[in-house]
Amino acid sequence: MEELQQPLPERLDLFTCIQCGKCTGGCPVSIKSPLNIRRVIRETVVREDLHGFFSRLEIWDCTTCSTCAIRCPRGLKPVDAIIGLREMMVEEGRIEKTIIDALDGAYKYGNPWGRAKNKRAEWAQDLDIQNALEMDPGQILYFVCCAASYDPRVQVVAKTLVTVLKAAGVSFGILGNKEVCCGSEIRRMGEVGLFEMLMEENMKNFGKIEPATIVTTSPHCMNALKNEYEGLGSEVLHYSQFVRRLMDEGKLAFETEVPMKVTYHDPCYLGKQNGVFDEPREILTSIPGIEFIEFGRCRENSLCCEGGGGRMWMEGTNQGKRLSEVRVEDALEMGVEAIITACPFCLLTLEDAVKTTGNEEKIKIIDLMELAVMGLGKTLETEG
Amino acid sequence: MDIIVCIKRVPETAEADLVIDASKKAIDTDGLVFSINEWDNYAVEAAIQLKESVGGTITVISVGPEENNEVLRRALAMGADEALRLTDPAFEGSDAYAMAKILAAAVKDIPHDLILTGVQADDDGFGAVGVALAQMLGLPYAALVTDIQLDGETLTVHRELEGGLEEVDTLKLPALLTIQTGINEPRYVSIMGIRRVARKEIGVKGAGDLGLSEEAVGAKGSLSRIEELFFPPVGEGAEIIEGTMDEKTEALVKILKERGGIA
Repeated sequence: MEELQQPLPERLDLFTCIQCGKCTGGCPVSIKSPLNIRRVIRETVVREDLHGFFSRLEIWDCTTCSTCAIRCPRGLKPVDAIIGLREMMVEEGRIEKTIIDALDGAYKYGNPWGRAKNKRAEWAQDLDIQNALEMDPGQILYFVCCAASYDPRVQVVAKTLVTVLKAAGVSFGILGNKEVCCGSEIRRMGEVGLFEMLMEENMKNFGKIEPATIVTTSPHCMNALKNEYEGLGSEVLHYSQFVRRLMDEGKLAFETEVPMKVTYHDPCYLGKQNGVFDEPREILTSIPGIEFIEFGRCRENSLCCEGGGGRMWMEGTNQGKRLSEVRVEDALEMGVEAIITACPFCLLTLEDAVKTTGNEEKIKIIDLMELAVMGLGKTLETEG
Repeated sequence: MDIIVCIKRVPETAEADLVIDASKKAIDTDGLVFSINEWDNYAVEAAIQLKESVGGTITVISVGPEENNEVLRRALAMGADEALRLTDPAFEGSDAYAMAKILAAAVKDIPHDLILTGVQADDDGFGAVGVALAQMLGLPYAALVTDIQLDGETLTVHRELEGGLEEVDTLKLPALLTIQTGINEPRYVSIMGIRRVARKEIGVKGAGDLGLSEEAVGAKGSLSRIEELFFPPVGEGAEIIEGTMDEKTEALVKILKERGGIA
């Protein structure tokens, strides 16, 4: 709480910024938004009163992909200035209705969509999954989180991951209706207090069962749990890392041919922010029949899908073409049949882009676990 | 200008599967999420906006048990100055009329130029407390207010009427307004904001403090009582349209046209 009292430039060391502009140069939204991150940094340093920012809607254009932080030669995190400004707006209560709804939903119901708490585990009811709260310490916890719990499209990903884990003979549990949002997006929308509240609630349950490993559906949750949950003793892995390990341990092998030409879209929170580039590629190339080609912009240079940083709940000023549409068009030019990805938000934004560009007949967006299930010769859950 | 806002804590029911409890006179609130009544939230925001333009103080009042501190504290975090909770076993079972008597007894002791309430409560939906309170206090009032302009001692308000009509009234202060949703955009109240007012004292008054006899409040002091609560019986008339997507679409459009749903 005291942290917020400290002015933004001091807190984030912004005085050391040399205004080189590499951040803006790499920013995926600067090409189409008034948001100029270099200039935001400068303004936060020289302006005595930051209230002028509060009416500038472009502050919500940032997807928190963190390309700026990777590029900064001074090792600064320009993205944190955006989040800092959002924190101030949240404290003043001056935020858009859709953001308020997301925050209220997370506060009241433990998920930013405001869906009922007791429906959180509905997706899993016929899958015979252990209640993690009844497990002994040192086991594996699958942290599902909100998109996979409530969004019908992402529920399929959760179900396929369960299929893969069971195929590998992994014993694991879920927190069910006791799980609450990891808070990653909440924090990035500037609601630090609520993030802490959600974290405490999850930590309380983690503390009860002390899992050895926590596996997440989303790279966003993985990032929050791994890098922002203070005092969490468990190893935190995105499912791509965990499944890759299962392959190493000889518990999982893909033997069913899946003849398909695909590319892979790096989720920012998995790749850029946590350096997980190889595992997803190794999983998909180990599936027989897969012909894999890279996007021109891949790995550290991957183009953000615009789903992060609260953008699922806020359109922003969003002039120009959506980056997810650019991504789909690039993939079509490459002649692939599917874009494989490994993040619920990427999955949803890319799939929307396929629809808005009218390419439903030409290209598919497939989650890495859906592909894995095909490689195991199992049926794909397509309901919902 | 000194403003009093009356707020209620209600269960959120939009997403919930409601169950009627054993008494058949109430819903089972176990597992339901409670928050400030939506209309009251707009009333608090309206009060804060008035205070921001002309100064003064805001007192928020809620009738109910300790849990109601939650909505009072939220209003304090939003910008109210004082909070008062009215609670007494004798208040149990009060209808809108008895509730207005309790509130009237409390606001008499608090200097005020303006009293705001929500149009209605999300749970009972009577829409009666505000106007009954105005009547008891002898204050001019306007219900269903969607716009407030203040000029000295005169309020000019817009009222939302049926059939898309809007009425413009002027009232002299002191007055009471019942606030309609959509009048403003209530600001967000952050968790840190709520924590910051965690130690702020919330006044508590019972029937004795307010000079109310047990006969005047609760079920005894009420004009109405709930006999039974039940779900409306499932009626006839639902039609399931069969066929392919195209056939279904065609059939639906035909029905909508025939019955005036679309031109």
